[in-house]
Amino acid sequence: MVAFIVRRMWQALLVIIVMSMLVFYGVFVIGNPIDVLISPDATQEIRQQIITQYGLDLPIWQQYLHFMNALIHGDLGRSFVYNMPVVELIASRFPATMELATMAILLASAIGIPLGIYAGYRPNGWPSKAIMAASILGFSVPTFWIGLMMIMVFAVELGVLPAGGRGEAVSIFGIPWSFPTATGLQHLILPAANLSLFKMSMMIRLAASGTREIMLTDTIKFARAAGIDEFTILRRHVLRLISIPLVTVFGLELGSTIAFAVVTETIFSWPGLGKLIIDSITSLDRPVMIAYLMMVSLLFITINLAVDLAYAVLDPRMRQGDGK
Amino acid sequence: MRKQIHASLLGIAFLMTVAQTNAADLVMAIKAGPASMDPHFTATAANADAVKHIFDTLIRSGNNLELEPSLALSWTALDPTTWEFKLRKDVKFHDGSDFTAEDVKFSIERIPSVTGPNPTTIFVRRVKAVEIIDPYTIRIKTDGPAPSLPNDFVRLFIVSHKAAASYSTRDTAAQGFNSGKATIGTGPYKFVSWAPTQDLVLQRFDGYWGGTEPWDRVIRKEIPNDAARVAQLKAGQVDIISKVPASDVPVLERDSSLAVVKNESIYVSYLEFDFRENSPQIVAKNGAKLDKNPLRDPRVREAIDAALDRETIVAYALEDLAIVPTQLVSSNIFGFNKALTAPKYDVKHAKELLKDAGYGDGFKITLSYANDRMPMELGPTVAQMLSMIGITVEVNGVPAAVYNPARTRGEYSLNMASWGTLTGESNYTLSSLVHSYDPDHGLGTYNVRGYSNPDMDKLIKSASDEMDTSTRRHLLEEANSLVASDRPELALATLLSAWAMKKDKVVLTPRADEDTLAMNIRPAK
Repeated sequence: MVAFIVRRMWQALLVIIVMSMLVFYGVFVIGNPIDVLISPDATQEIRQQIITQYGLDLPIWQQYLHFMNALIHGDLGRSFVYNMPVVELIASRFPATMELATMAILLASAIGIPLGIYAGYRPNGWPSKAIMAASILGFSVPTFWIGLMMIMVFAVELGVLPAGGRGEAVSIFGIPWSFPTATGLQHLILPAANLSLFKMSMMIRLAASGTREIMLTDTIKFARAAGIDEFTILRRHVLRLISIPLVTVFGLELGSTIAFAVVTETIFSWPGLGKLIIDSITSLDRPVMIAYLMMVSLLFITINLAVDLAYAVLDPRMRQGDGK
Repeated sequence: MRKQIHASLLGIAFLMTVAQTNAADLVMAIKAGPASMDPHFTATAANADAVKHIFDTLIRSGNNLELEPSLALSWTALDPTTWEFKLRKDVKFHDGSDFTAEDVKFSIERIPSVTGPNPTTIFVRRVKAVEIIDPYTIRIKTDGPAPSLPNDFVRLFIVSHKAAASYSTRDTAAQGFNSGKATIGTGPYKFVSWAPTQDLVLQRFDGYWGGTEPWDRVIRKEIPNDAARVAQLKAGQVDIISKVPASDVPVLERDSSLAVVKNESIYVSYLEFDFRENSPQIVAKNGAKLDKNPLRDPRVREAIDAALDRETIVAYALEDLAIVPTQLVSSNIFGFNKALTAPKYDVKHAKELLKDAGYGDGFKITLSYANDRMPMELGPTVAQMLSMIGITVEVNGVPAAVYNPARTRGEYSLNMASWGTLTGESNYTLSSLVHSYDPDHGLGTYNVRGYSNPDMDKLIKSASDEMDTSTRRHLLEEANSLVASDRPELALATLLSAWAMKKDKVVLTPRADEDTLAMNIRPAK
């Protein structure tokens, strides 16, 4: 097990190094960040001064080595745009995104899985057909459109929920969270629901197809023959067996939701990471781009690791390979 | 089922708590926010818009960019290279300390050591030395005649030399100012809190020298997404929004609870020609290389000018949130030439001109612009109009992050942008855009496409050295007229800016520079 984790960490390190090189090269090819940021009326002299000050006149490999050197000393650098340490900048946005993504994924699982199991269990009833049809809508209608419609209906027409922004936050262990407060929850509902729709549809379809398949297996026949009631069968056998693909999807989706909730964050003016990364790309804010992508790689690797560990818990067969 | 009941109960509970704001609070949603609370870190318009609430300048620009006394009561040129400023007495900083000449000197001298990639050094680049005569008199020595120094100084914010003393290096400035420790100004509002892209919260400063403001608290929310900004206004979460998108203006105007204010901005959209002998993106229709750059021929430029129907551009491409331009600067700018008229739309004449110039069959050219900065329909509209006279235009809309560096490298033959005359006087625009490229003197810095006209250079140079206001105005008017006849660039549209607000809560006096200041917003009666 330890060897497995160490190997994973090695992979993580490699991914991060390759990625940082790509970002450096990419920004270098696009052009000088100073040309994006500077006022057009700045004199040549001022422009040169600034370029030298940020070390952007050096050859790219030298810039990269400087960056790596600082990184080894624990310094990810400062944002060109905000003049703040990038770590601080990302940390200030992370809780908002984390909160939104977790809420969305929980909502998707808590509603999607039971609905999916039901649809798979009674595939011919009209409620199941309605569930499956709705899930197709959830897949195919674009998130931003649903988001705008939600704002139109709940915020503009009915006026029951806020149109955007984040509510009041309370500090827990020094991190500002908004879900424990009333205004925080109000502000969280629409964006979380919007973000969860696609994932919910996916959970429904996965759970439904898994359930249909398993209901036909001998396991279920024997369980029924043994007189176990249907609810217990669903809970103990079906849910258990369909949970591996569900956990995989849950993990992957959690990662991608945290990293790329950009559309929902933009529509609902949610002060999360999405906007930060988009801004940093449009202004070629290289330190922020690199730090953000590093964080995302780390996140995905950690989540995948957790998913693999969860398999081992869920399915005894998976444990055997690692017994040594 | 139980869950559903629960949810609807919660919904009812929310009904009662949503939209409770104090009547004396002002909540506004703006498109672009500041990057730092340090007023000397970056020269963006969005940063100035935010910090103007907290910090004053010696001279301020009024609603139409006219110069008004602020912390300086008067300014006079003692000789061509010395400006004397008499400072206002009895001005208090937010921490209760007095404002004196020491703070001015400190602010000017601090800039080079804290400024970032969009340096505010451009506002003090003419300053050679600062001399304190007495606590309320200061003299600025310039590196040459600098009649536009007062215009530069409208963006020179004055910080407290005591509060900012230990936050004036590149590593400490952001921390000191963003936390509020050094954010001590003399302005009408005190700083409460801010973090990048999040709300800027301000509180009224009762000791303000210019009289107290009507709002207890001002909250400036940064909402870059146009639809989201409009939605928050319609949902009643904010009192006023800036930069209403053109397509939403008619909708909001129909809403009886809202008011929309439109105003001529300082931004002009323009088309820019490449003048270099070998232009990279012009070829004959069949793709063959041309023996010379057609854009160097004045007849070709005139033909393009005549082929562009400005009325259609304004009405359709810009959805009427613009007006037909007569020159490269808007009518509120010093040096605007009233005698000039809008270019005449005449396709037949344009075709004749092209034929005379030897391009009866037209040619092929690429039009580049930043598609995240320019109105979406403008590029295709221009392309279509030019195709009417036989010029094939390939439209190349790219993100600003790609456009700006590529433009600086000189990769374009025809490009399109919007330019704002931020200082309120034409010299700012003309010296950057149409003066010959002369980096040693800081002239023509934005002119990387080889345009050079000695007459133009002479006019701009004399205007920038001329200390007499009316002579200077005359010189600039002449320069603007020369731009219109020589056509190094073609003005496409003068842009309007629009704000929308709750009619029964606020009244706005708009500003030409598009700033959305709490000081310009008053409670509705």
